[in-house]
Amino acid sequence: MIFITHHNLLAWLGKLKEDRTLIAPQDIGKGHIRYRPVSDIEEITFDYTQPEMSAKEFLFPQTDRLMRIEKRGDEVTLHDYLLEKEQIIFGLRPCDAHGFLAFDALFLEQDPPDVYYARRREMTTLVGISCPQMWENCFCTSVGGAPDDPSHLDVLLTAVGDGYAVKAATSKGKALLASAETQEVTDLTLPEIPKNETVPILPAEDWPALFNDQYWARLGERCLSCKLCTYVCPTCRCFDLRDEEVLSGTGIVIHDRMRVWDACTAPNYRTIAGGHNSRATKGQRIRNRYYCKFHYYPKDFGPLGCVGCGRCIEACPVNIDIKEMLAQVADLHEKVEA
Amino acid sequence: MIEQIQAKAKELLENEQVSCVIGYETATDGGTRPAFIYDPDDVDRLVWNQQCHYNLVNYLHDKKKPPKRGADIPSVAVIVKPCDSRTINLLVGESQIKRENIHVIGLTCTGMLENGEIQTRCQHCTIRSPLVYDTLIGEPPTEEISDDFEDVAEIEAMAPEERLNFWLSEFDRCIRCYACRQACPGCYCTVCEFDRDDSLWIGMQNEMPEKYFFHTFRAMHLAGRCVECNACELACPMDIPLSLLNRKLTKEMEELFDHRGGMTTEPTPFVTLMKDGEISLI
Repeated sequence: MIFITHHNLLAWLGKLKEDRTLIAPQDIGKGHIRYRPVSDIEEITFDYTQPEMSAKEFLFPQTDRLMRIEKRGDEVTLHDYLLEKEQIIFGLRPCDAHGFLAFDALFLEQDPPDVYYARRREMTTLVGISCPQMWENCFCTSVGGAPDDPSHLDVLLTAVGDGYAVKAATSKGKALLASAETQEVTDLTLPEIPKNETVPILPAEDWPALFNDQYWARLGERCLSCKLCTYVCPTCRCFDLRDEEVLSGTGIVIHDRMRVWDACTAPNYRTIAGGHNSRATKGQRIRNRYYCKFHYYPKDFGPLGCVGCGRCIEACPVNIDIKEMLAQVADLHEKVEA
Repeated sequence: MIEQIQAKAKELLENEQVSCVIGYETATDGGTRPAFIYDPDDVDRLVWNQQCHYNLVNYLHDKKKPPKRGADIPSVAVIVKPCDSRTINLLVGESQIKRENIHVIGLTCTGMLENGEIQTRCQHCTIRSPLVYDTLIGEPPTEEISDDFEDVAEIEAMAPEERLNFWLSEFDRCIRCYACRQACPGCYCTVCEFDRDDSLWIGMQNEMPEKYFFHTFRAMHLAGRCVECNACELACPMDIPLSLLNRKLTKEMEELFDHRGGMTTEPTPFVTLMKDGEISLI
């Protein structure tokens, strides 16, 4: 097994940072932990459960500038914003990396692939750290993940003793590790991580039977219709696209084409010309969010739209709890089938 | 108090005086969450404790319209704390709800907890008994509390540049999730300026000018309307001290216009009022 001391890990990160953007969990104030570009290695925090926002911020930014349209006099020039510098996301929890599976299924594997996402994906290396435990809202083991699952990462570190056990999960990860000072050890026992009780996941084909159940209207009743659950979610990927004027003056107008996160939970998401809204009620919107994760997405693209990180439970101001919903939906389906 | 609350809810539902009672129930994290009770047999779900911080009056916006075309506007009962009762005044004064459609179950209050401590805003709260109610439950506390705006004094003491930097560093964490706006019972515009599709006033990107504009714009629209329920701040996932911003404007409004949101049904002097008869012209 390969081992790296904490000291050597920091030295390695420092080296990587020289010609790449290093992104890692940091305290951004009042104890809020987010993934942020690192200017000094000292800024990285190792004392966190999971960052409040998922790592999708760096492959699918909330504000993603795609193109600049510049008009000077009669001349129009176009400029593509494509990520130019390689980036490393460090300190990911395995569930965050798992989230990119849902992104890949849509943005890479559909034809045509999304060039902006594809470029970021190609230029990004994912270096994760195993979770020391499953926290209260975690249910990754119910949706195909695990607190120490290396499957979707390039490198996985697992804390042990005064350092980390290192696993290169891809050739990209292996190449990155070439500059790290590691040692080969034989007597290392990795800690056993106690698992949370699993949550029943209703199979994708069983969801349509519950579509018209009044359960959704009742569940949606306390929803505030904010966007929080979708913003913190590692798989939610809806966006709005617009050309916005960023500068105008004599003989010059500049527009940026940008795509920005959108949320199916917000009231205006489905509003179309003429003011018609096909998901005008909260129950319809919350049903859509969960059907997308457990029925539409697996049916249309393969992976589930949920990695069991529990962020939406933690974030929801009115305790809409996806685990509670999954248990209730499984019960409800049993009753409907009976 | 909880026995009285449950008994009243049961009575209102059994007599069909209301179709729904909006109250509090236990959340999956051990705290509380809003509950909508339709069946008299479900009233034992209702709870009352110092974690019942939600302003449930916000949900009356969902009950303003008949459930089906041609049906009546539903009558509902809502459990309110003293601060929440100011929201009833606010929304009646702004013609958003009809008082006769609402049965207000008012509860006396000694303050709500946040992380195990009495919330700052509760420490300054001068009303411990609801201003509006149909049923009153609980004994109002007798101790006198005066609001000296001590919490606001701290930001007022800052030099303008320091104060700006303070707010910018707080707004920096904003993700524009709009939880504050959605939790606010005073934010009920059908189309919010920030949801318009034409980017006329504000762009869609989540950068500092937009965050700054969003929070100050919202605070200005709540001047003299904020009922100090703290719902915005408690909904905020990033701990932005939104109540402090609103409290500053509450202080200004009180000093300049002798007006405080929701103390009566008198609307804020900041809104345009139509005189008698003018309303029929539109």
